[in-house]
Amino acid sequence: MKNYPVLTYVLKRIGLYIFTIWGAFTIAFVFFHSVPGDPISAYVATMEAQYSYKIPDADVVIAEYKKMMGLDGTLLQQYFRYLENVLLKFNLGPSFLSFPTPAEKYIFEALPWTVGLLGIATLISWTLGFTIGGIMGWRRDSPIAAGITNLALIFSQIPAYFMGLALLFIFAYGLLWFPRRGAFDPGIAKAFNWDFISSVIQHGALPALSLVLVSAFGWLISTRAIVVSILGEDYLVYAKAKGLTGGAILRHYVLRNAMLPQVTGLALSLGFVLNGAYLIETLFQYPGMGTLFLSSLAMLDYNTTQGIMLMSIALVLTATLLLDLLMPLVDPRVAREGKG
Amino acid sequence: MELRHILFRSRLLLVGLSILGVLILIALLQPVLNRLLIGDINPVSMGTYKAYEEVSPQHPLGTDRWGRDWLALLILGLRYSLIIGALAGVAATFIAVILGFVAGYKGGRTDAAMRTFTDMVLVIPSWPILVTMASYIKGLSIPLMALLLALFSWAFGMRTIRSQVLSLRAQPYVDLAKVSNLKDREIIFQELIPNLLPYIGVAFAATTVGAILAETGLELIGLGPGGNIITLGLMVNFALRWGALALGKVELVFAPVLMLILIFVSMNLINIGLEEVFNPRLKRVTGG
Amino acid sequence: MANEEPLLRIRDVRVHYTSVRGVYKVVDGVGFDVMRDEVLGIAGESGCGKSTLVEGLLRLIVPPGKIASGEAVSSDLTAGITNNCDLLSLSDEEYRQLRWKSISYIPQGSMHSLNPVMKIEDQIIDAMLTHETMPKQAAKTRVAELLGIVGLSPAVAGLYPHELSGGMKQRAIIAAAIALKPKLVIADEPTTALDVTIQKLVLQTLMRVKREIGCTIMVVSHDMPVHAQIADRLVIMYAGRVMEVGPVVGIFDDPLHPYSQGLIATIPSIAQERRRLAGIPGASPSPLAWPAGCRFHPRCKQAMAICQDVEPAVVEVRPGRYVACHLFGVLRGMS
Repeated sequence: MKNYPVLTYVLKRIGLYIFTIWGAFTIAFVFFHSVPGDPISAYVATMEAQYSYKIPDADVVIAEYKKMMGLDGTLLQQYFRYLENVLLKFNLGPSFLSFPTPAEKYIFEALPWTVGLLGIATLISWTLGFTIGGIMGWRRDSPIAAGITNLALIFSQIPAYFMGLALLFIFAYGLLWFPRRGAFDPGIAKAFNWDFISSVIQHGALPALSLVLVSAFGWLISTRAIVVSILGEDYLVYAKAKGLTGGAILRHYVLRNAMLPQVTGLALSLGFVLNGAYLIETLFQYPGMGTLFLSSLAMLDYNTTQGIMLMSIALVLTATLLLDLLMPLVDPRVAREGKG
Repeated sequence: MELRHILFRSRLLLVGLSILGVLILIALLQPVLNRLLIGDINPVSMGTYKAYEEVSPQHPLGTDRWGRDWLALLILGLRYSLIIGALAGVAATFIAVILGFVAGYKGGRTDAAMRTFTDMVLVIPSWPILVTMASYIKGLSIPLMALLLALFSWAFGMRTIRSQVLSLRAQPYVDLAKVSNLKDREIIFQELIPNLLPYIGVAFAATTVGAILAETGLELIGLGPGGNIITLGLMVNFALRWGALALGKVELVFAPVLMLILIFVSMNLINIGLEEVFNPRLKRVTGG
Repeated sequence: MANEEPLLRIRDVRVHYTSVRGVYKVVDGVGFDVMRDEVLGIAGESGCGKSTLVEGLLRLIVPPGKIASGEAVSSDLTAGITNNCDLLSLSDEEYRQLRWKSISYIPQGSMHSLNPVMKIEDQIIDAMLTHETMPKQAAKTRVAELLGIVGLSPAVAGLYPHELSGGMKQRAIIAAAIALKPKLVIADEPTTALDVTIQKLVLQTLMRVKREIGCTIMVVSHDMPVHAQIADRLVIMYAGRVMEVGPVVGIFDDPLHPYSQGLIATIPSIAQERRRLAGIPGASPSPLAWPAGCRFHPRCKQAMAICQDVEPAVVEVRPGRYVACHLFGVLRGMS
C-alpha cells in the first residue's frame, strides 16, 4: 500500500463517499420520520378535507397502503427496509400521484435535464472565469482589467434567479429571441436529429446563461485574487530569470498553480450551485428535478419529494467525489508523501 | 483594531456599509414613510385602491392585483426581509461561534471531525431540504423561519471563528493563563472572547448573507411566514404568479428584485471588505 | 591562455527603492570588473546591497525599485543578441533572450524557487527549449547528464520538488543553471539555510560545475568562510558601496580596509562552523540616510577627521588590490 499512495488516496476517498452517503441518507430518514403522522394518513386527511368526504373504513385503507409502501412495522424495521430499497435497489417506492408508477421513473426522467443544464453551465463558467480571471490577475495594471474586475464584482453577487428574471424579460418576453419555458418544443418528437437538438439548445440557452453569467464572474474574481498572490512567489521570479516567455510563465507557472485551489473551490461550491439551478428551473419551468420537486411537494407526493432530496445529495456528493479523484492529476502534492 | 481603522482600510467595505445603512434606515423609518405615502392605511390591506394602476406621482410603483400601493409594500417588505435575515444571522452566528469555538479550542480529533461535518453541511444542497422542512411545518412564524434558515447558514461563519480561536489559543498568554491555574472557563471569558469580538462580527456578516439568500430561496417559491407578513421575496413570487411580466407591469417584479440585489451586493461588499481588512494576506480585490 | 579582458565591467550602478518615507538607496554607486573563468565573491553584512546588486544585474528589480543609473558592459554576454553591450540598458525582450544562455541564476532561497506542480526535468527543459531548439529526447538526456554532474541520481528528473530534500533541491537548481553552458552564473547565498555538511557538498558541486563547463561564477554571501573556500577574488561591500576588492588570499592574509579587517577578525579559523558576524561594533546604517563622508566612519576605530566629510574613492593601492579608504589616500599623499 505504501508504494501506491495515489491508490490509498482513491480508496480512502471512496470509503468516505460511501460513509457520507449513508450518513446523509440516515439523517434524511430520521428527519422525515420525525414529522408527526405518516404521509398516507396526511394524504387521506387532505383528500377528505378537499372533497369534504369522509372515507368509510379509512383505517383499513390506510393500513393497506402503508403495507404496500413499506411504511408499516417499527422504526428500525422501516429503516433497514429503507436502506435496502434506496441504497441497494434504487427503489424509492411508488409515486403517490401516479400510483403505481415508481417514483424513480420520474426522477430519472428529470435527472438528465438537471445534470445537463448544470453540467454545461458549470463547465463553461469555471473554464471561462478561470482563464479570464487568470489574465486579469496577470495584467492587473491595465485599466481595462480594472474595469472588467469591477464589473465582475457586481455581477457575481446577483443571485442567478434574478439574472434569469432579467434575461427572461429582455430576451424572451421583450425581444422574443428565446422561448419562455420548457426544455424543448413540445411539438417535436424526441430524436437525435437537428430539429430536436436545436430546440433543446434554444430552450436551454437562457437558463444556462443565467447560471453562467453569475458563476463565471464569481470564478473570475476568485481566480484573479489567487493569481495576484501567486505573483509574489519565488518560483515566479525564478521563471523570469530563466528567460521564459510571458505566455509560458502564465500557463505553466501561474495558472497551473492556481488550479488546485480553484478545483477545490469548485467541489465546495457544488451544493450551492445546485440550489441556484433548481431555482432557475422553477423560473423557466425547465423539466429538471427542481420543477419536479416543487410539483411533487405541492401534490404531497411524499416518495418523489424524498427521492429528489436524496438524489440531490447523492448528485452533489458524487460530483465532489469525481473532482476529488481528479486532484492528484491537478496537483502532484496531493496524495504523494513529500520529504519536505 | 479600532473601528475607525477598520472602516477606512477598505473602500469596498465603506461602499457596502453605506448602501446597507441606507436600506436599514428606510426599513426603520417604514411607519413614517408609510404615513407619507398612503396615510394611516395598512399597506397590506386589499382593495384600498384600484388594481393595476399605472405608475404615477400618487403611486410611484403603481398598484398590484389587489389594489395595494406597491411602493408602500416594498418598504414594508424590505423591513421584514431585513428582520428575518438579521434574526437568522444572529441565530446562525450563535451556532457558528459555539461550534467554531469548540473546534478551535479542543483541537485534534474533535476539530477534524467538526471540520468534516461542516464541509458536509456546506456541500449538501440546502434548498430542497429547507423547502421540505418549511412546507412540513404548519404555521411558520418569523422566529421559527429564522431558526430554520440558521440551521444551514452557520457553516459560513464557523470557519472564521475556528481559525481565529486556533491562532488565539496558540498565543503565549493563554499558556501563561493555564500555568497560573486559571480554569478553562475563566481563560475563555477573560482572555479569548474579547479578542474574538471583531471576528464574531465578521462571522455575523458572512452568515447573514447566507441566511438572506436562503430566505429568498424559500420566498421565491412562495414559502414564508404566513398571514400579513410581506417580504421582498414573496413580492416577487406574487408578481410572477399574477403574470406581471406578460402584463407588462415590470415594476411589480423588478422593484423588489432591485431591492434584493441591493441587499445582496451591499452585504457581499461588506464581506469582501472585511476579509480584506482581517485577512491581510489576501491582496485587495480590486486595484491589485 | 586565459583572456585578460574583463568579462563584465560594472560601473556606478545605483538601485533605488521609492517609498512614502523617502528613497532607499540600497545600491549607491558600485563598480568593479568581473574577470573570465574566475569565482568572484561578493561579501558584506545583510543589508549592504549585495543581493540587490546582482538582482539589478539580472534585471529582476520590480517597482517600487528601479535601476537609477549605471552600466554593466559586456560584449561577450550580449554577443549574438544585440550590439548594445550594456546589460542595464537592453530592452526587456533583448535581455530575456540572453537569460540562461549567457547569464544564469541560483537564487537565494532556492527551496521555494522550484515550481511545485512541475517535475524537475520539465523545469530544466522548459528553460532549455526556450533558448535553443532541440528534440525533447535530447533535452531529457542532457538533463540526466546535468543531474549526474551535480551528484544527483537520474531518477530525480521525474520527481516533484516536494519529494526532494533541501540539499537536493539546491543541487537541482545548480544543475538547471548550467543547462545551456552560460558564461556567467550568479549564485545568491547558495549555502544559507542548509546544514553545514550539505553546505560543503553544495560548494563542492559549484566548483565541479565550474570545472565542467568553464564559466565565471559570482557568489554573493555574507558568510566569509564560503568565500574562503571557493572564491578567487573578493568584492567587499558596505552600505551600498564597494569597500575593497582583491584576490581572496590577499584579503584574508592582509585586509586593508578597516571593515574588511573587522569581517576577517570574526573568523579565527577558516575551518570553524558558520557563525553570524559579531565583531563589528555599532549598528548598520539605513539606506534612507547613509552616513556622510565615508559610510563606515561611525563604526571605524581608525576614523580620521576627513572621514566624516569626504567619501573616499576606490583606488588601486597595489596591483589588483583596490580600497576605498582615506588611510590609503593619506599614505599615498605622503609617499
